[in-house]
Amino acid sequence: MTPYIYSFLLAIVSSMLVDNVVLSRFYGICSFIGVSNKIKSAFSMGVAVMFVTVFAALICWPIYNYILGPLNIPFMDTLTYILVIASLVQVVGLFIKKYSAPLYKSFGIYLPLITTNCAVLGVVQSNTDTALGFGLSMANAIGTSLGFILAIVVFACIRERLEQYNGNKPFKGVPLALVVAALMAMAFMGLGGIGA
Amino acid sequence: MNPIYLLYALYAFLILLGLGLILGVLLVWAEKVFHVKEDNRIADVEKMLPNFNCGACGHAGCHAMAEAIVKGEQKKLSACKPGKKDKNFDPIIAYMEEHPDEDGTKHIPTL
Repeated sequence: MTPYIYSFLLAIVSSMLVDNVVLSRFYGICSFIGVSNKIKSAFSMGVAVMFVTVFAALICWPIYNYILGPLNIPFMDTLTYILVIASLVQVVGLFIKKYSAPLYKSFGIYLPLITTNCAVLGVVQSNTDTALGFGLSMANAIGTSLGFILAIVVFACIRERLEQYNGNKPFKGVPLALVVAALMAMAFMGLGGIGA
Repeated sequence: MNPIYLLYALYAFLILLGLGLILGVLLVWAEKVFHVKEDNRIADVEKMLPNFNCGACGHAGCHAMAEAIVKGEQKKLSACKPGKKDKNFDPIIAYMEEHPDEDGTKHIPTL
């Protein structure tokens, strides 16, 4: 294994598990809580976020490094990223509406909200801020979105079980889900030492 | 002020213009390719709603509300909080009276 592939895989694993986007960086909480009622729609949401993240990183890296950087206007980065992400989300929305109407319905308002999902912008922005090369940027995007899928699917599995729990009424639904999310975040903290 | 900043501002302007154009064309293309045929009545009912997209009715926006009205899933129009009886609800009821489903079933909403 060449050193480059090794660092590529390491970047994927570290952004997926060690620096999990939802559970240790606390990005993308909105759709994490909102679309995790059912495992199927949680998984689809994860895939949609993954698609948007990877394509946003793919498009934004050349924009920053070949246009904004050489023209000496790096302050434009966030604005252009938001433009690119918003358009990508629109395209994904149209695509899902065409090929899976029930899925489109189960996403509801959360699909356009991928636009403001900070996980997507966070990945692209951290690629810029840490001046990663193209390969490692893609590794970061793939790893982060895999981490998002992992977190949201595991969370949805737990929440589906919790539906059958008849306990404290005030805790039913989202409050209990938030407690579960906190416990999951604590569990993921245990992975923090792997890199060191 | 250093005049180079004006140049940077111009670059920023041009880049956003170009990017906006490219992405706009992409969206128009995607809209054409992924176009879904929809019941014409949904668009008509949507026009008669207030179009605030506030979500107070419990749907994801006025379009989703209009779809539910046309399909007969939403019977109570007063779920729409900003809507007025004479301005929004009465025209929708009259419209749904005049435009039944293809097989003749009428989904007439109430106030």
